Amino acid sequence: MIFDQNTMLILTLIALAILVIQLYMEYRRKPKQAKYISKELIICKKCGYEAERDYEPGDFISLVKGKCPKCGGELVIKAIYSVKLEERKT
Amino acid sequence: MATDWVSLATQLIWIILFILIFTGANQKIQMRLWSYDIRNKLSVIKSYLEQDRARVERQLKNLGVKSPDLLIKRAMDFFIIQPVDIEPTDIIKRLEHLIITGDKSFRKMVEQAIPTSTKYERSLVETGLSIVGVMNQIYKIVRHYLLSGEKENNWILLMQLEMSMPQIMRIVETYHKSLDAFLTGTPIGDSVGPLVTYRLIELGKVISKKVVEDTSITELWLDDRRIYVVKAEGPGSNVGRPGHVLYDLVEELKGGVDLVITIDAALKLEGEETGEIAEGIGAAIGDPGPEKIAIERATTKYGIPLKALVIKMDLGEAIHTMKKEIYEAGEKALEYVRRIIIESTKPKSTIIVAGIGNTLGVPG
Repeated sequence: MIFDQNTMLILTLIALAILVIQLYMEYRRKPKQAKYISKELIICKKCGYEAERDYEPGDFISLVKGKCPKCGGELVIKAIYSVKLEERKT
Repeated sequence: MATDWVSLATQLIWIILFILIFTGANQKIQMRLWSYDIRNKLSVIKSYLEQDRARVERQLKNLGVKSPDLLIKRAMDFFIIQPVDIEPTDIIKRLEHLIITGDKSFRKMVEQAIPTSTKYERSLVETGLSIVGVMNQIYKIVRHYLLSGEKENNWILLMQLEMSMPQIMRIVETYHKSLDAFLTGTPIGDSVGPLVTYRLIELGKVISKKVVEDTSITELWLDDRRIYVVKAEGPGSNVGRPGHVLYDLVEELKGGVDLVITIDAALKLEGEETGEIAEGIGAAIGDPGPEKIAIERATTKYGIPLKALVIKMDLGEAIHTMKKEIYEAGEKALEYVRRIIIESTKPKSTIIVAGIGNTLGVPG
């Protein structure tokens, strides 16, 4: 089977197009890694006041973190967790 | 004229292809491509390893160690030899003995290097060193198979390695990122079991508390029932010995226990949701064997019902800072545990609830 020059050119272009599409699909398939930030949930056991703050190294759950701005009671760390950065912006 | 050139080129391509196929040279080219790709990935693993090593080194220097190199080198190559398994008699005892000896030796090694540090700081260093050790082990094994494959022209070995590289890279990246949590002390996904049990302690009226072998036992009164909460002693990076302690507790109570519940993080299957809660029967604990068998033996000896509650997550979520979804799942699991207790036991019953996992960032 002998192809003329134009047919060869068209076949090469089609092959290249398929290759590019496949590479693009492969790139799209890779999941983007989300960025996370550590937060801590502090609560006042006296009045129930709750606030979310940035995590400070060395903190742990149940640690007393200052006074409640509402009632002056003790603020305690209830939870430490990470949240998606994108979610915070919206 | 042009058609002749095209025809000649096409025939040449076919001849080259035939020669490659019949001489096996195509496999050699393929092997080179695999080898090149594996080398690239190996250099990524090496850079992660160096970064992690440098971070642990900085942490040790901050704690006052002048030359942390020796400690890091010793910890990186530390190993435990598996017991003989072709003779299964007393294998659990032998395995337990080796694990305990390994843990004690590793702790002693760290303690001697940083004698002025607190137990909490030492626990973070120990885990950081363990992570660097795991990364080093993976790096050495991948390098070994790559060099062996190249040396012996073993294209099947290289192909297997190339096919396994995405999974290996995923594990390496997971361990690399987990160092953040272990150096700063934030609770990890695996801490959800201890977190649920800690919440239980907060809700109940505490009667007594003691610590045995890095594991805390808190006796409390909640929902008109006596509950013993067993968990690793926090808030350091510690898994304790919940199985062994639970066994001794059941013996101490002379089998007078109406229900044992274990709560743990479980690896989810692809497609399952993070934070899914599932209830089942058995000991939810992922140790090499000694702790799990201790729970099974204690409950079987006295015919105590053994229930399990697991919170699903993947490996990355289990060893990275606890995601908010997992924390929320933990809050739901707390209500779930209370419901199981009320449904399965009568008032004034005695129940043991064990929070299994690393208690990093969770006190009690």
